[in-house]
Amino acid sequence: MITINEITIEISGREIIYGYSEQIPAGSITVIVGPNGSGKSTLLAAIAGSIVPIKGTITIDDVHPALTSAMQLSKIRAMAVQNQFYSLGFTVRQVIEMAGPADEIMQALELSAIADRHVTTLSGGESARVAIAQAVAQNTPVLLLDEPLAAQDIQSRRRIIDLLQGLAEKGVTVVVVAHQEEKDLEWADKIIKDLL
Amino acid sequence: MKRYLPAFTLLLLVVATLGSLAIGATHIDAFWKELFNPGHNAILWQIRFPRVIAALLVGAALAVAGLMAQGACNNALAEPSIVGTSAGASLATVIAILFGIVQVGSLGAIAFGVVGAIAATALTFKLASVRSGLSSFALIIVGIAVTATLSAIVGISTTMVTRADARSISFWNFGSLSLITTDNLLGIFITAVIGIALAYSIAPDLDRLSLGDATAFHLGVDVAKVRKLALVALSIAAGGAVSTVGTIAFLGLAAPHIARFIYGPSHRFLVIQSSIIGALLLVIADTLARTIAQPNELPIGLVTSLIGAPILIALVALRNTTWKTP
Repeated sequence: MITINEITIEISGREIIYGYSEQIPAGSITVIVGPNGSGKSTLLAAIAGSIVPIKGTITIDDVHPALTSAMQLSKIRAMAVQNQFYSLGFTVRQVIEMAGPADEIMQALELSAIADRHVTTLSGGESARVAIAQAVAQNTPVLLLDEPLAAQDIQSRRRIIDLLQGLAEKGVTVVVVAHQEEKDLEWADKIIKDLL
Repeated sequence: MKRYLPAFTLLLLVVATLGSLAIGATHIDAFWKELFNPGHNAILWQIRFPRVIAALLVGAALAVAGLMAQGACNNALAEPSIVGTSAGASLATVIAILFGIVQVGSLGAIAFGVVGAIAATALTFKLASVRSGLSSFALIIVGIAVTATLSAIVGISTTMVTRADARSISFWNFGSLSLITTDNLLGIFITAVIGIALAYSIAPDLDRLSLGDATAFHLGVDVAKVRKLALVALSIAAGGAVSTVGTIAFLGLAAPHIARFIYGPSHRFLVIQSSIIGALLLVIADTLARTIAQPNELPIGLVTSLIGAPILIALVALRNTTWKTP
């Protein structure tokens, strides 16, 4: 269970989220939707511990991300950022293995065929799938994904959604930022909107 | 073929080292016999041996310093003579010499060099991130400005106070191995080993740091700590080298890139392979610097650039996917 309690987040002096509370149930898929600039990615980064609220608290079970070391946090939550950029020519397999075993997740996301390609040569959609695969390979109870379905074709979308549903059934708490219309989110267990 | 490359590079290094010991202004009779008779031939053991060992150590140290600068900044252009490290080491050493505290090549001079290197590198990073997070653009611009300022002070100091023991502006700008003695080797050995060992220990985290600060953090990397450790490794390795032999630019930029082109981006492997390539380049450059224009000796930094630059250009032309910029 992720508990968000009255958080206020400011970035560069601008208030992004104000006095916001929410509970995200364990072992389910929660999707955060909303217009550009509504603070979706900021909320996800705050749950991940990379942004610290100026007021209020966030807890993953009884862990405060803002007060926990990077190493400890990496065992609790994984996150794929939006527009992951790769500067060095590691292979797809090497990048995923920085987080954990790669074979199973590469198969699930149809990355096995490009396992030995340099990540610097991938398309936007492929890069995003590698970032998702890396986060899943980290094998944590909480999985945070920022816009995982953007830049994906229909088949890849289906594959990613199937993967997330499988993980949620196994007890993983999945939180996703998405741009979809609400009617296209039948795969979500919970939808968060109206962050502002 | 590729699996034999590390062994081939190592073999090249051994051949270049032996060649460098054998070739010079004075011909050594019965070279192989003298090589297995330590201390017997004065030219070989008191002049060439310390110089060749210094070239190996400094080459390896500067290459790893460059690798740390590039890894910590996630920037392909970073190297000790661009982010202020070398100029900081030069200035601190020159000041300490002019005040009569230390002599070039002593452990004291190296200590001043390392402290100056750390201070100048930290200053570059501090100034580059004053307004917001560390950007590649700010880092390189500020690094060049810090280097220019500190190098100018070194130049003015050595010109105003002309003293042989403070070395010349050419020494601090282009480097020289001509005054190396056996006594100087201990200091550069210690700093090279510490710098390289520290670099090796943080190498896996630098792989993750290449994915960006946010992703590295998500993967469990304490980004600020790793970056600081990389800068300390950079400063120790480069500070020790620069305070003893002056600034040899370009090697720290070229050696890690050449290693990356050949062996890929994994930092554990790169720490070792960059060291070997850096040592190889500097030994070859030093042999050429002291032989091709006899009796004159060419500044080593210029020869290093002349050798390293075409190799780097050729590799970029052949294969351009090792480092992508946004």
